[in-house]
Amino acid sequence: MENAAYVGLSRQMTLRRELDIVANNIANADTTGFKVEQLLVGTEVGERARNAFIRPGVSFVLDNGVGRDFGQGALGQTGRDLDFAIEGEGAFFKLTDGQGEAYTRDGAFTVDAEGRLMTEGGAAVQGDAGDIILDPALGEPSVAPDGTISQNGALVGRLAVVRFDSLAVLEKGGDGLYRNASNAAPAEAPDVRVRQGMLEGSNVNPILEITNLIEIQRAYESVTRMIENTTDLSRRAVERLGRA
Amino acid sequence: MRALRTAASGMAAQQLNVEVISNNIANMNTVGFKRQRAEFQDLLYQNVERMGAQSSSQGTVVPTGIQIGAGVKAGSVYRITEQGSPTQTGGRYDMAVDGRGYFQVVLPSGETAYTRAGNFSVNGEGQLVTDDGYAVEPSITIPQDAIDVTISKSGQVQVKTDGQTEPAIVGQLELASFFNEAGLEAVGDNLLMETAASGTANVGTPGEVGFGQILQGYTEASNVDAVSEISALIIAQRAYEMNSKVITTADQMLSVAGQVKS
Repeated sequence: MENAAYVGLSRQMTLRRELDIVANNIANADTTGFKVEQLLVGTEVGERARNAFIRPGVSFVLDNGVGRDFGQGALGQTGRDLDFAIEGEGAFFKLTDGQGEAYTRDGAFTVDAEGRLMTEGGAAVQGDAGDIILDPALGEPSVAPDGTISQNGALVGRLAVVRFDSLAVLEKGGDGLYRNASNAAPAEAPDVRVRQGMLEGSNVNPILEITNLIEIQRAYESVTRMIENTTDLSRRAVERLGRA
Repeated sequence: MRALRTAASGMAAQQLNVEVISNNIANMNTVGFKRQRAEFQDLLYQNVERMGAQSSSQGTVVPTGIQIGAGVKAGSVYRITEQGSPTQTGGRYDMAVDGRGYFQVVLPSGETAYTRAGNFSVNGEGQLVTDDGYAVEPSITIPQDAIDVTISKSGQVQVKTDGQTEPAIVGQLELASFFNEAGLEAVGDNLLMETAASGTANVGTPGEVGFGQILQGYTEASNVDAVSEISALIIAQRAYEMNSKVITTADQMLSVAGQVKS
């Protein structure tokens, strides 16, 4: 009898987690370079709560991962020379900070007092040959679609834009950064384009997320009702059988 | 419930966004104003299930793991130093910088401030000053008997006096530029101050490499674009509403859980 309640409970737990993820998607609907996430839920054949004569195979609900949609976000014009967007899926700007290498799609860069190209969070943007250092006396940098940076006709360097064979090795680190959680080395991504004066918006689809939100809420309510009904059933069974 | 706090962070971020947008719209007609933009970043992530963790005793491995984000935060609010359009005013001491560089202004405290607002005037002593009466650096004094003042594109100030055929040079304007313009600190009154992030000022003559030219009789309009600010405002409002919807949903789910009959 308790099997139904436990199956319901397993679904409730995953629904709560799904709500957390949808909430994070909606909160980041306006975050530069954010990639939408979804909880991957599967069935898990589990042990029955009681060894009664019912058909085998009670299926519980188990979340086994978070899937990320690395699809392109919309490019928006900002009119700032140090804003960069990557046009092409699954490629990242390479950065280094105190914790080693990091990767990002958020190309809202700035320069520090020495002219080094940095993120707002203080990670140094990497070029083909280490840090990229701009000369402020030469005026605005211009960046070609292949990432080549020049100032007043003089070559400064090339933005390192990389990609991974499997995007599943990336772990989100907050601040728009991804970290490599494996030993897999990234490769160059020659097919993508770097756009100067643009930023990539979040690829969250707000309407889809609100729909998910409603679905989660209704599913939670109906599972709760199912658990209530199950408990009700066993209570009534105890009452009636006890009277006899 | 994590979702409540996550959505609250989203609402706080959108509130900041509206504050930045409203300041831009309020300064739409401020001379030399540069619009600002709030930039958001995702907050830290909690690893509920690490990627690469073993999911069974048979050695199967979780391919992606479960990471749940904690919401959003404001990464930075930066100034977009795009050129504002020069507006003709006809004012004799009105100047716009076409290109890079800031006018230097000496504050009463002796510090130097930087500004793009070139709507200057002269004080009782004939000294070139800002609207607030702060002297422009390097100091330029216009003689009392001047009948015409010409400021060249390279910042040379020439005056013509009665009975003179040749104009006399009374001063040379200079501009300051910075490694990182976005690192300047705004202190109000159209003034910006040097910070550790901006780097030290690099002073030069207008028209040199890396410096803009001076246009006399013009002021630089603010670079705020009303249409894009209004659409940004609409987006911010809707995003705020959606986050509040998440809070309502999370609250209702909590209340359902709280009302379960035992």
